[in-house]
Amino acid sequence: MRRAAAGGGAWGARAAGLAALAVVAALAALGGLARGEQVQQGNLIVSLDGGISPRGLPRDRPAPAAVSLSGRLRTADGSPLPRLGGIELALAGRGLLFTRGLPLCPRQRLRNATGAQALERCAGALVGHGRLRAEVFVPHQAPFAVHARLLAFNGRARGGGVAVWVHAFSAKPPVSFVLPFVVRHRPGAFGTALRASLPRSIGPWPHLTSFEMTFGRRYRYRGAFRSYLSASCPLPPRFTAGLFPFARATYTFAGKRRLATTIVRGCRARD
Amino acid sequence: MNAGAGRFGTRGSRARQVAATALLAALAALTASGIAAAEGGPTRSEYVAQLEAVCKPDALATQKAVKGVKDDIRAERLAVAAGKFSAAAKIFAGTVRKISPVPRPPADQAKLAKWFTYLEQQESYLKKIVAALRAGSTIQAQRDTARFVHNGNLANNTVLAFGFNYCSFKFSRFG
Repeated sequence: MRRAAAGGGAWGARAAGLAALAVVAALAALGGLARGEQVQQGNLIVSLDGGISPRGLPRDRPAPAAVSLSGRLRTADGSPLPRLGGIELALAGRGLLFTRGLPLCPRQRLRNATGAQALERCAGALVGHGRLRAEVFVPHQAPFAVHARLLAFNGRARGGGVAVWVHAFSAKPPVSFVLPFVVRHRPGAFGTALRASLPRSIGPWPHLTSFEMTFGRRYRYRGAFRSYLSASCPLPPRFTAGLFPFARATYTFAGKRRLATTIVRGCRARD
Repeated sequence: MNAGAGRFGTRGSRARQVAATALLAALAALTASGIAAAEGGPTRSEYVAQLEAVCKPDALATQKAVKGVKDDIRAERLAVAAGKFSAAAKIFAGTVRKISPVPRPPADQAKLAKWFTYLEQQESYLKKIVAALRAGSTIQAQRDTARFVHNGNLANNTVLAFGFNYCSFKFSRFG
């Protein structure tokens, strides 16, 4: 499967130049791949799950789609997780995002905002939602879990590139912060990467234990419907379904320790 | 020793006896623990190192064998793709044959038995993919590939704590 976007206009032109899929890719059917893939390094275990919706996509042109990703971090013996310094979510294909005509949300408008306030201030720029769970370590106190709701907004990075501001808000205890993901395009199987560094100023939050995010948005631009994400399933005519390396999550922990996990998912060719 | 024996007289010979007995006991204990270790098999890290040494060249050979198969599938050169997967299946079968007799850590016997069951299934799915491609049955090839990938993930989860690299299933190695 191949995903494309119209970074600058017509979708079809970019679709042709997108990164290719893996081999078996062109072969496979879709059943039974719902479980997330796991990787263990020493005591640390990370997993990633996710998929694309709809799974039925045109062979020859990109169509509107949504992507969901969920990750989990844990230790084999239940000991506290190391501090997370950064996270990268990479997706197969390049030019997968289309943001022209989509309102921008300045990052400062999300500072100290509740979920409702963030939505009120930047509803037009909303591109995703999800949940996050973290362990909070407070000195001389037992660690406790915090559940936060996530809202993703279309943003602009300092250099002018595409960014995604992931706003997290927890009511109990009341905490609000922004994870600044910068979108990078590069060659290779995972051509679109969302990368965020977690500054120490976030405090105890980086002991992330799990997250779920769904990205996708339909909107009107110059009289036409557009999609924040687009995808195609460019299989040979005799094949109806294919598998491909869909996404990779790379976690960077304190001490520059890195752990990455890749998931393989499928698409069905819709003629 | 001799000088000491002369100096201590009878008390010295008693001390020597005690020392000799202690030494013998220590040697016996060491020998016993050595035998126990040998009977118990390798540690997990020793086992992983042994298997990785076998899997590495085979994994690299697999990558070489399937090179270009993506283009073959796209161009619907199914017989060519089948040939490449057949070579990969032979390498895989050879790897399993080489690693299965390697003595296993006693504590991991059950896990590894399950893992080897998955590996045998992997081998079978690869053969089925080859057969389906040779028969020109693309739908069957799709189904078997999905099972192959799913089964590979199950195999990986079984030995997650081992930290295998070349001995683990990686989709990217097949294309």
